[in-house]
Amino acid sequence: MTLRSTTLAADSVPRAELWGIGRDHVAGQPADFQISWDDWERDTAWAESMLAEHGVGSGTAVLIIGGMPESPWFDPFETAVLRRGGHYSLGEVFSFEAFRSGMYATRLGVEVVFGINRAVADGLGGELGPALAGVRTIFARPDAVPLLQAAGLTALTVSRLGPGLAVSCPVGDGAHLNAAEWSVEADGEQLMLTTVGPRAHQMTRQHVGVTGQVAVDPCACGRPGARVYLSPDRGV
Amino acid sequence: MPDPKYLEPEIETMSRSDLERLQEERLLELLPTVYERSGLMKKTWDEAGVKPADIRNLDDFHERAPLVCKDDVRQFRDTYGDPFGGLLAVDRSRVSTVFSTSGTTGDATLYAHTWDRWHPFWATLARNLWDIGVRPGDYVLGSGFKTRGQLYHADQMCGAIPLMVDTGIGAWSEAVKAILKYRPVYATLTGLALPELDHLSRTIDLVDVFSSFVGVSFAGEPLSARMRRRLVDWGTETFVWTSAGDVTAAFECREHDGCHAWEDTVLLESVDAEGREAVGNGEIGELVATSLDNLATPLIRFRSDDLIRLTREQCACGRTHARFWPVGRKGDETIVQGLSLVPMDIWSALEEVPETEAAVFQLVRPAREMDELRVRVGYDDTTPTARLDDVRDRVAAAIEARTGVVPEVELFPEPELLSRARGGKLSRVVKA
Repeated sequence: MTLRSTTLAADSVPRAELWGIGRDHVAGQPADFQISWDDWERDTAWAESMLAEHGVGSGTAVLIIGGMPESPWFDPFETAVLRRGGHYSLGEVFSFEAFRSGMYATRLGVEVVFGINRAVADGLGGELGPALAGVRTIFARPDAVPLLQAAGLTALTVSRLGPGLAVSCPVGDGAHLNAAEWSVEADGEQLMLTTVGPRAHQMTRQHVGVTGQVAVDPCACGRPGARVYLSPDRGV
Repeated sequence: MPDPKYLEPEIETMSRSDLERLQEERLLELLPTVYERSGLMKKTWDEAGVKPADIRNLDDFHERAPLVCKDDVRQFRDTYGDPFGGLLAVDRSRVSTVFSTSGTTGDATLYAHTWDRWHPFWATLARNLWDIGVRPGDYVLGSGFKTRGQLYHADQMCGAIPLMVDTGIGAWSEAVKAILKYRPVYATLTGLALPELDHLSRTIDLVDVFSSFVGVSFAGEPLSARMRRRLVDWGTETFVWTSAGDVTAAFECREHDGCHAWEDTVLLESVDAEGREAVGNGEIGELVATSLDNLATPLIRFRSDDLIRLTREQCACGRTHARFWPVGRKGDETIVQGLSLVPMDIWSALEEVPETEAAVFQLVRPAREMDELRVRVGYDDTTPTARLDDVRDRVAAAIEARTGVVPEVELFPEPELLSRARGGKLSRVVKA
């Protein structure tokens, strides 16, 4: 229960044009991008539709594993969980914080884990399999997949791609970006991103420092746009 | 647009009598519901022979309501297999977020909230950021603290724009470049960030770096005298904040005369060692907190183990809400060879040795009373290996001078020891 008075006070404060500033890294160099409140709202609507397809609804416990700097990509999914009627917990991306993700997963009966990375999978060690055994859907960074598989777990993909986020649909054949916002192409093995939505940060056929392949044939899930298959060593 | 000084002037400066009336209303409304739904409260109150109907006002509550501690929560959790330790007082379908305590002092415990637009913790934080001077359109460096959710939402409540830049271990060199690019006005610092900033100050002009700031906040552990001086040297105004009994946060205002807890969200008490009597104004007591705005996992008379000095005297800032000064943790006192010491003794000793002045350390304490004093100490990792024996000797001598005990000192490069941090802070007292 947030105090009504504080909510009203915050409503009286002029809202900034921007929701925030995100920072990606391309070839080791910072690549900043602006996110408007409208961008965030559309990203959240897309996240909500994705989570709906994965069965997130009233009472679903979701564990989201991401660092604060990853919030431009992950915050829409946090809000989307709430809009779907579920609840979320937050895990960190460091191995020394893996215990917290394991604790949430086992104690809360988490049904969906979103964003597990190699450091956390590694940090859980022998507890990885038992901790996530009851999880219905795991979205993992690509480089965490071998560890999850070794623990007898299957995983879908979530991975940052420039300012966009690639997320698997339930079909699990590659990962989608929000086609209303982004267009992705391959330049050899290098992926390039173009904004097609009215985003605050515009980019045209820009290399995002990610290797992978692009499939343009329609996905069985019916979502529009290309899918990406990311290099298995991608860790974010 | 709110008042220039207060985000909610009518709440922040309301008279003590109105504030206590508001607390009483909220408490009396809360107790019957929580008693009915919270397994831990029902068990505790039934064992004490107290019913919500017995509580007609705040005086009854202080006199009759039983206290609980974190071990009670853990015991309930383990006995009944209830992840919330008997605290959950709403249906799971109404829960929005489940976060946990940092876990630095033992086994982390869960707490849930139900909310719609803003988490209650962010909302109370927004009052403090407004006081510090965060305003619409300002940039704010995003905080790495996540045990209470993403704190940048409080920045957004003030109309500011968070910079989602890494401020974790080893990331401050790049964060400084982001500061120079965007010129933010505020950042939350932790004990993990300060040693790194201290090292960077040898090659970077941190006075220039922080010149755009209206303030920085510091939380997670006590701020040492040396680091407070360093922050002053860098031209920052530092606002210390701390937890108010796992219920909410308490923040220094511009007067820097104690940390204000927002008493429309928490009922604060400071009690004696037995938990029977309230201690006098400004005397050292244990902080006991009761949630007034958490319907999901409300804590009712929760013993925090935190030792504080509490006052309800009006602050010079105009706010009427109680202030307290953290003194330490109840269980931190350690007896070695019959001599008493607390972590601050080690802290002060390490600040005297240049190679360990960042005071990154862990006191290894398998039991409260010990025959040997064992301390892990982080040293500046630019120190030549050939000098480490000398560093160890000087550290041991400084600790002995402070405590009277010859310690066993294990040296680690600072980054290696900092990597043992959990939830944004390094445990200063560890069992092994």
